[in-house]
Amino acid sequence: MFDFAIAGVQSPFMLLVLTGFTVGIVGGFIGVGGGYMVTPALIVFGFPGYMASGIDMTHIAGKSVIATVRHRQMGNIDWVLGLAMVGGTMLGVELGVRLLNWAKKLGIAGILLLTCSVVVMLCLFIYTQIETQKAHKKIEKDAEAGITAGREVMVSGIPRFFQSIPLYPIVRCRTARLVISMWVIVLVGICTGTLAGFLGVGGGFVRVPALVYVIGATTHIAVGTDLLEIAVSGGYGAMRHTQMGNVDMIAVMFMIVGAMVGAQFGSIATSFVRGPAIRYILSYSLILATVGACLRLVYMLTGQKYEVLSFFAVVFTLGEMFFLCFFIVSLVVFAVRYRHGKSVPAWIPALVVKD
Amino acid sequence: MSAEQRKSGAFKFIFWTFLAVLLLFYAWHSYSSGQMINWYYWEAAADGYAVNANTFKEATKEKPVILEIGPHAEITGLQAVPVKKGERLPIGCNGIISKKELEEGKRVKLEDDRIVVMVPMQVKEAKGFKYKDTYKHKGIKTNPWSGAWNVAWVLALGVCLGYSAEGFTDLFGLKLKKIEHYGH
Repeated sequence: MFDFAIAGVQSPFMLLVLTGFTVGIVGGFIGVGGGYMVTPALIVFGFPGYMASGIDMTHIAGKSVIATVRHRQMGNIDWVLGLAMVGGTMLGVELGVRLLNWAKKLGIAGILLLTCSVVVMLCLFIYTQIETQKAHKKIEKDAEAGITAGREVMVSGIPRFFQSIPLYPIVRCRTARLVISMWVIVLVGICTGTLAGFLGVGGGFVRVPALVYVIGATTHIAVGTDLLEIAVSGGYGAMRHTQMGNVDMIAVMFMIVGAMVGAQFGSIATSFVRGPAIRYILSYSLILATVGACLRLVYMLTGQKYEVLSFFAVVFTLGEMFFLCFFIVSLVVFAVRYRHGKSVPAWIPALVVKD
Repeated sequence: MSAEQRKSGAFKFIFWTFLAVLLLFYAWHSYSSGQMINWYYWEAAADGYAVNANTFKEATKEKPVILEIGPHAEITGLQAVPVKKGERLPIGCNGIISKKELEEGKRVKLEDDRIVVMVPMQVKEAKGFKYKDTYKHKGIKTNPWSGAWNVAWVLALGVCLGYSAEGFTDLFGLKLKKIEHYGH
């Protein structure tokens, strides 16, 4: 047991290291901060709610930097796209926080927040799942016809529409090979930032799909660029939380040590897979988080009578971290087996790259 | 991978690991010396009484705990120090019982020169999860520079650990190439 003097909690520090490690794997792979998983975990470990949010946000800033360094080495970051988006994101976060304060004044913040989470995550899950399954089938069809698919296969036509908007200034994103109006990037930043600020999360689970399906970046570049974005917005959020006294830095230190190893594994794992594999994991993380949020929403709507709902929401959220880690590790194991010519399940070749 | 690349990987790993260890050592030293806690419980954010909430966590309505009020420089037990908004907090303090709460008299009340604590903890909720809400952290303000300082520390540690890991993989001949995003 370690005595976290500032948080006033006694908890095994290895639990924090393990949480940092698992969320590091997921975050490095799908480009999210993982706030929706870490905050409940910290509350279960005994940290007060406000402290859990602050520790989570501060650890996310550090973890995102670690993952960003690795994604930079693999060429997954478009600096122009990322930096152009930062301004819009910051503005959006501020708008989202004000929207939340307005909801708090009306006394509907809790229910509105959970309803909004459920609707957004469910819509993103459905679209991502349908699109990714189509892309998966296309890769398999191409393979039957003797065509080897590239690293990225996407069938959505939405990015073409947004890329054709002729609003100046037009920016050229060399790494992402995009020519797009600056206003589209800023607008995406504002929208995703507003949702992030309102829901009190880093916003990666909204921004990665937006970068892929609205702007038209490849999934790998969306993941790397989003982590850069999270490092900036997470750093700002961490500063605000620290000033408000919501952060125990020793807890953050233990989590970052675990995240260092996890984020490396998650980031490097992206080099073994095609874009649709990352989108599959992202969509599964969305639906699992939706179920967790749904349970909490029902718990609140029923006047907090059924404690079992709250208990299962926690169990579900914690289980999600381990399930996603297991899925990512399995993908890497299968990718390595496939590279060495060993037998793998039939659905694997379409999702991993041979070299 | 050439020996030259491995050598540069080893240098990168040692240099960034050394910096990361320095940053971790600094955090640990700051914590164990009490500087981190001192920065956290910096000044009062409300008029009231500075207390150590750990000392009265066993209090109940049936068995209330009494805090002696006095101008102590350090809180070592069942003591309360009167503070005004913006004043530096005494050593050992980890929360403020505000005047407003004392006037309400639901959880704590003022009797002569003593504070009677009856309900030191309440169950509250955040993001759909229940947690224990105590007087700890209540009415306190952290050092205004601690926000910027802590974020600088976290980001610097992230950079050091990131490059250290990169140096580690380079050292063992696992230098990762840029991913070919386009084409077949």
